Amino acid sequence: MQVQHSPVQVMGIDAGGTMTDTFFVRQDGKFVVGKAQSNPGDESQAIYESSVDALAQWGREVDAVYPELDTCVYSGTAMLNRVVQRKGLDVGLITNRGFEDIHSMGRACQSYLGYALEDRIHLNTHRYDEPLVPLHRTRGVVERTDVQGQIVIPLREDEVRTAARELIEAGSKAIVISLLQSHKNGRNEQRVRDICLEVIKDEGLEIPVFATFDYYPSRKESHRTNTTILEAYAAEPSRATLKKVSDRFKKHGAKFDLRVMATHGGTISWKAKELARTIVSGPIGGVIGSKFLGGLLGYDNIACSDIGGTSFDMAIITKGKFAIQSDPDMARLVLSLPLVAMDTVGAGAGSFVRLDPYTGAIKLGPDSAGYRVGMCWPESGLDTVSVSDCHVVLGYLNPDNFLGGAIKLDVERAHQAIKVQIADPLGLSVEEAAAGVIELLDQQLREYLRATISAKGYNPTDFVCFSYGGAGPVHTYGYTEGLRFKDVVVPAWAAGFSAFGCACAEFEYRYDKSVDIAIPSNATDAQKQEAAKTLQDAWSGLAEKVIEEFVINGYKPEDVMLQPGYRMQYMGQLNDLEINSPITSAATAEDWEKLVVAFDDTYARVYASSARSPELGFGVTGAILRGVVTTQKPTLPEEPMSGPIPPPDALIGKRPFFRHNNWLHADVYQMEKLKAGNHIVGPAIIESSMTTFVVPDGFETYLDAHSLFHLKEVTKLAVVKH
Amino acid sequence: MPTYTREQIGNMVDGKLQSDSVHRMLSMPKDPERFEIYLDVLQEKVSWKDKIILPLGPHLYIVQSLADKKWVTKCSCGHIFGDYRENWKLNALLYVRDTEEAMSQVYPKLMAPDTKWQVYREYCCPTCGIMQDIEAPTPWYPVIHDFEPDIDAYYKEWVHLPLPERAN
Repeated sequence: MQVQHSPVQVMGIDAGGTMTDTFFVRQDGKFVVGKAQSNPGDESQAIYESSVDALAQWGREVDAVYPELDTCVYSGTAMLNRVVQRKGLDVGLITNRGFEDIHSMGRACQSYLGYALEDRIHLNTHRYDEPLVPLHRTRGVVERTDVQGQIVIPLREDEVRTAARELIEAGSKAIVISLLQSHKNGRNEQRVRDICLEVIKDEGLEIPVFATFDYYPSRKESHRTNTTILEAYAAEPSRATLKKVSDRFKKHGAKFDLRVMATHGGTISWKAKELARTIVSGPIGGVIGSKFLGGLLGYDNIACSDIGGTSFDMAIITKGKFAIQSDPDMARLVLSLPLVAMDTVGAGAGSFVRLDPYTGAIKLGPDSAGYRVGMCWPESGLDTVSVSDCHVVLGYLNPDNFLGGAIKLDVERAHQAIKVQIADPLGLSVEEAAAGVIELLDQQLREYLRATISAKGYNPTDFVCFSYGGAGPVHTYGYTEGLRFKDVVVPAWAAGFSAFGCACAEFEYRYDKSVDIAIPSNATDAQKQEAAKTLQDAWSGLAEKVIEEFVINGYKPEDVMLQPGYRMQYMGQLNDLEINSPITSAATAEDWEKLVVAFDDTYARVYASSARSPELGFGVTGAILRGVVTTQKPTLPEEPMSGPIPPPDALIGKRPFFRHNNWLHADVYQMEKLKAGNHIVGPAIIESSMTTFVVPDGFETYLDAHSLFHLKEVTKLAVVKH
Repeated sequence: MPTYTREQIGNMVDGKLQSDSVHRMLSMPKDPERFEIYLDVLQEKVSWKDKIILPLGPHLYIVQSLADKKWVTKCSCGHIFGDYRENWKLNALLYVRDTEEAMSQVYPKLMAPDTKWQVYREYCCPTCGIMQDIEAPTPWYPVIHDFEPDIDAYYKEWVHLPLPERAN
């Protein structure tokens, strides 16, 4: 029997360390998620197997579906793991003579980056990681460019030749060049690059050379050097992997060009020059997906919350925009990459639960069971209770339907472990202890969410909260309760929301360059015109790079929409703001004034209009250029509305459910069987194979036409009305 | 609650554990018997029989002497610095680096402190010569008495162990 298929449009890939997930979206908005064991030796094989697993749910074949696809976006952890495990390419580094230790010493903060707060202040936990490039593959050369970009000591070219030969001799498979102030004047660095290329050619070798000026021309030497080293150390090996993946797609008839999620919130081609920016991508996808959904549904202000097994990530979208952090850290390295700003706390659904032996207080995390779930999974090999154990004991999770029944959870084992480790020492019943753990976690997450929003000067009542991630919907009610969000939205595909978000992202390159422009408030028109020219020069240089990237992928320069931006600050202040430029090019004093007005307005919106300080004058610290080409996006599902009463076959049973010191009987629904418009009053549990959505007593939810659940708190009166 | 075996704690003392394991042991709440095992590991490493009450450094301990139950500060080699409440440094061998020449033995020229502002005082055991501690104060500063641990409270209220007998 041949069924008429809606074509499959979009594929998202999340290649994790243990599992490779694929996510397929059809034109009618239906989606499937596939899973396969990751295969570090050949990622393309795992992606293929995962695709087969996903498409089998629709009874379709890879060879038929791949050619149908418009878009495929990859995100993976291989590059990050390569850095964390120090398994990258053998890189050689050329610095200024006397600065050979600059990379090994790094920044002091790298000794505690990624630590929980209590460890940051606990000095004896601080430690420095192995540098990516060892000292024996580092050479210094004499030259000096001053902070204004003047060459004060010319480059000793002979030293470069010697250095290049020695680095090759020492086994370097790539050479990185980072000289002081090269972001102001890259001439010496480029000369070093050219000499290295000559030497490599003379020796008949093929070794790539990376000058920071060509890649990340930003101030802050450690950031710029680390990032360029990553490009050579970790991104080059990933390029080989991605090529293999792309070739495999082509073999199965794919016509799309594989893209990779990047830190700035856009997707870039695997052929991109700056591939290091794809080092983290997972959590960003959810933010992009939220922005995309918000745009379609008319939500301007969104609080994005993603709870997985190990962490709780949140980001804020205001006026349809997310913030960009310009010098973030990843894998304990300071970097100069634009990154979608996110706050993360190390508490998740798999966090371990322990008692502090001195205070008797319950302590959550910071470590977690991760994919090993908890003691409720007898094969986990764990001996410490996790949050999931508490959920199983309280009836929130179905022990027979975890990951669609892929693993069976043992309630009695979890019960016993909580009794011994938590409940007995506290003199509580197992249920009370487990509920206490959940309440504590919810309270921590709620406080964290509230603080993140209010610390930026906003109020939760102006925001719609999006809740996703595999474990998100179990906790949604808990961490939103009492915050009075305008609306709380749980997508039915919460577990695959990050992959969905990646597929929503623009095909977008973004390049940044540091500039130093300082214009006092009483500046002459000539000075303002000069400032406009400096910024325009930077934009022009970046535009060339952006267009070059698109040309590599077969686009014509005229297909590319360019959006310039800049980072501006009041002179003397420390923080700058990123502004989308109101003008497409800058040349005159009037143009400068337009840039200033746009900054003033943004400043007033972000802080307060009375805080504006134009009398200090204006500084521009960075030029930004984004280029976008049109791509196919997923369409939002549109289901016909049926009534508020769920179809009878959606109700699959009742389950005892413990909350507020009471055992209740929760209605259990199967998520896939619910229809748009259905209305469910708690206590209820809505299950699918990928996620569990908990609607406790005092809450209700309805499913809209776009497969989004809306969760509402109800007062007792409202319940009577219903 | 993670519990660590005697072997693991022995490896920690010997510096044989990976840094992330040490980090976890440091950061997580300590298992109740940790201190007792720790003392036991330390006790095995020294050649004398006096009971270790509290370690002060890699080679320095407050001990209860076997003969008269008095508490004293003692080097791993067996040298006794005196009553545990007194500053043991006053009975140590002292070497003060207070000239440019002496500084140049430990730091390259121009990368050491100006000795008019800062000197190094190295405290060594008079018997075995091991360096127990270094101070880096201004030249006129008195010998620093690092701290006076409240051992009674530590044993009774924190690690819940019987306080060993004390004759002084």
